[in-house]
Amino acid sequence: MKLLLTTYILVWPALSLGVLTLLIVALVRDMRAARRNGEGMV
Amino acid sequence: MRIISNMQESAFFQLSTSTTLLLLFGFYGLTFLMTLSIRQRNENVDSYMVSNSAVGFGLSAASMIATWVWAASFYASATSGYRYGLSGPIHYGLWGALMILFIYPFGRRFRELAPEAHTLAEVIKARHGSSSQLIMAVSNLVGSCISLMVNFTAAGALVSVLSPLNFTQGVLIAGSGVLAYTLWSGFRASVMTDFAQLIAMIGSAVVIIPLIFINAGGSDMVMENLWRLDAEQSNFFSTKAILEQGAPYFIAVLAYAIGNQTIAQRLFAVREDLIKPTFLTATVGYGAVVIGLGMLGLLALFTGLEPVDGNMNNIIPQMASTYLPPFGVALFFILVVGSLSSTADSDLSALSAIMMTDIYGKNIARGKPDPQKMLWWGRITMIVATMLGVILASLKLDILVMLVFVGALWGAIVFPVIASFYWNRITNKAFTTAVLVAVALFTVARFELAPMTGVTAVLFEFAATVGAGVVAGLMTFAFFNRTIAIIVGVLVFVGMLPFATGFLRDYTVLLSSLTAYGVSAVVCVLMSLRSNERFDFDLLAKRVRSFQDEDAMLRSGQATPAAAKTAES
Repeated sequence: MKLLLTTYILVWPALSLGVLTLLIVALVRDMRAARRNGEGMV
Repeated sequence: MRIISNMQESAFFQLSTSTTLLLLFGFYGLTFLMTLSIRQRNENVDSYMVSNSAVGFGLSAASMIATWVWAASFYASATSGYRYGLSGPIHYGLWGALMILFIYPFGRRFRELAPEAHTLAEVIKARHGSSSQLIMAVSNLVGSCISLMVNFTAAGALVSVLSPLNFTQGVLIAGSGVLAYTLWSGFRASVMTDFAQLIAMIGSAVVIIPLIFINAGGSDMVMENLWRLDAEQSNFFSTKAILEQGAPYFIAVLAYAIGNQTIAQRLFAVREDLIKPTFLTATVGYGAVVIGLGMLGLLALFTGLEPVDGNMNNIIPQMASTYLPPFGVALFFILVVGSLSSTADSDLSALSAIMMTDIYGKNIARGKPDPQKMLWWGRITMIVATMLGVILASLKLDILVMLVFVGALWGAIVFPVIASFYWNRITNKAFTTAVLVAVALFTVARFELAPMTGVTAVLFEFAATVGAGVVAGLMTFAFFNRTIAIIVGVLVFVGMLPFATGFLRDYTVLLSSLTAYGVSAVVCVLMSLRSNERFDFDLLAKRVRSFQDEDAMLRSGQATPAAAKTAES
C-alpha cells in the first residue's frame, strides 16, 4: 500500500520527464535535418 | 527574499521585489531574444498563422502540451485532488488530456479536405457559408479572450501572493511580456517559445513534486494520515468524484477540442503525416504534467492543510511556501509564469488568425485580402486583445456567465461541425438552426428558466440522454467506423435512459451540457434529412487556399482556383 501510493504520486513527474526527453531528442533531430536542407524549423 | 508578516503570516513565502522582477524580466527577456532568431522583416501571412504547415514532431507536440497546460490546469487539478482525494487529479488531468486525443482523428480529416486552412471557421465557411462560419469564429474569439483574461489574472494572483508587487503590476508585466515576443512573428514565435517554456514547466515540476513529497514527510506521512480521507476520497472509483468532476469534464472533451482555435491551429501547422504521433504524445505529456501537479492537492489533503481564506487556488502556493526552499519557490514561480505565458501567446495567435482569416479575409475583403493589410489586422488584434485582457483581468470581473455560454455554444457546435465533414447532406440552415435551438434549450436548463419537474424535466432528461449517446457515438467514430459509432451511441442512450430519467434533473450542469449536444444533433440530422443538397467535399481544397499564394497569382494575372470556380458557376 505504501509503495503503491508512493508510486501513484511520483510516477507522473517521471512520465513528464520521459516525454520531455523524447521531445528534446526529436527536436535535435529535426534541427539537424533542417540545417542539412537549408530550411527553417518554423 | 523575505518572509511576509501580515494576517496571512507564514502561509506564503515571498520572493523579494528584486528577485521577482529578475525572474519576470529574465523570463520574458530571454523569450523575446529567442524570437529574434526567427524574425523576418516581411513575415509571410500564412506562416504568421500556421507556420510552414510542416512543423516537426518535437516542436508540435511540445507546443500542444504547453498551450493546453494553462495556469488553471494545475490549480484546478490540485483542487480536484484536495476535494475528491485519490481519484481527483485523474478526473481533471485525464479528461483534459483526452481533449487532445479525441480531436486528432477528426483533425486529420479537416487537414485532408483543406490542407491550406488556417482556422476551422474558414473551412466551415467553405463548407456552409458565412452564418455558420461566424458562429464558429465568434465562439472561438470569445473563448480565447476568456482564456487570455484568466491567464493574465493568474499572473496577477501569483505575483501578488508570492511577492511584494501587486496584482495589477503582475498583470501588466505578463501582458506586455507575452505581447512583446508574439507580436511580430505570430504563431511562429508561439510555437518556438512553447518548447522553451515547456522545458521550464516540466523541469520545474519534476523537481517540485518529489521535493514537496519528501519534505512533507514522504510515504510515512501519507500512511499516517490516511485517516484524513473520507470514504469517497479514499475510493479510487469514487462516485462523487465521477459525477461532480469527471463526468461534466468528460462531456466537455469534444466541445473544448472543437471550440478552441489553438488546437485547430496546431492541427493545420504540424506536418500532416505527424498529426497522430504529435497528438498522442501531447495527450500523454499533458496528462502527466497536470495529474502530477494535481498530486500536490492530494498531498495537501494528507497534511491537513487548510487553504487560506478558503480559496482553493491557494493550495499549491501554500504547499510550495511550506515545503520548498527558496530556490524551489522560484522554480514554482517560473512554472506558473511559463504555463500561463505559453497559453496566452497561443491565444493571441489564435485571436489574430481568426480576425485575419474569418473577419478580414473572408468577410471584409470578400475573399481577396491584401496580405500586408492582413498582417496588420493580426498585429492590431494582438495589441487590442492584450489591452482588453489586462483591463478585464485588473477589474477581476466575474466571468462565470460568459464561460457558461461559451461552453454551451461549443457543446452545441460539436455535432454539426464534425458531421459536416463526413455527411454531404448537412446544410447551412441545419447547422445554424441546430446551434441556436441547442443554445436556447441549454439556457433554459442551465438557469432553470422552466421548473425542472414533471414532463419538462423528463423531456430534458430524454434530450440529455440523446446527448450522452451523441458524445459516445462521436468519440467512437473518431477511432472506428460509422456503424460501430451508431451502435455505441444507441447502446449508451438505451442503457442510460432508465437511470437518467428522474435523476439527471438534479445535476443542472450535466443536464444542460448534454441537452446542448442532444438537441443540436437531432435538429441538425432532421433538417439535413429533408434537404436535397449533396456537397462535393473536393471543393473545400479549392476554396481554402494559402493567402500569400493566391495574392501572388492575382498579381501575376493568373486565375486563382477560387476565381476559376466562380467563373464555372
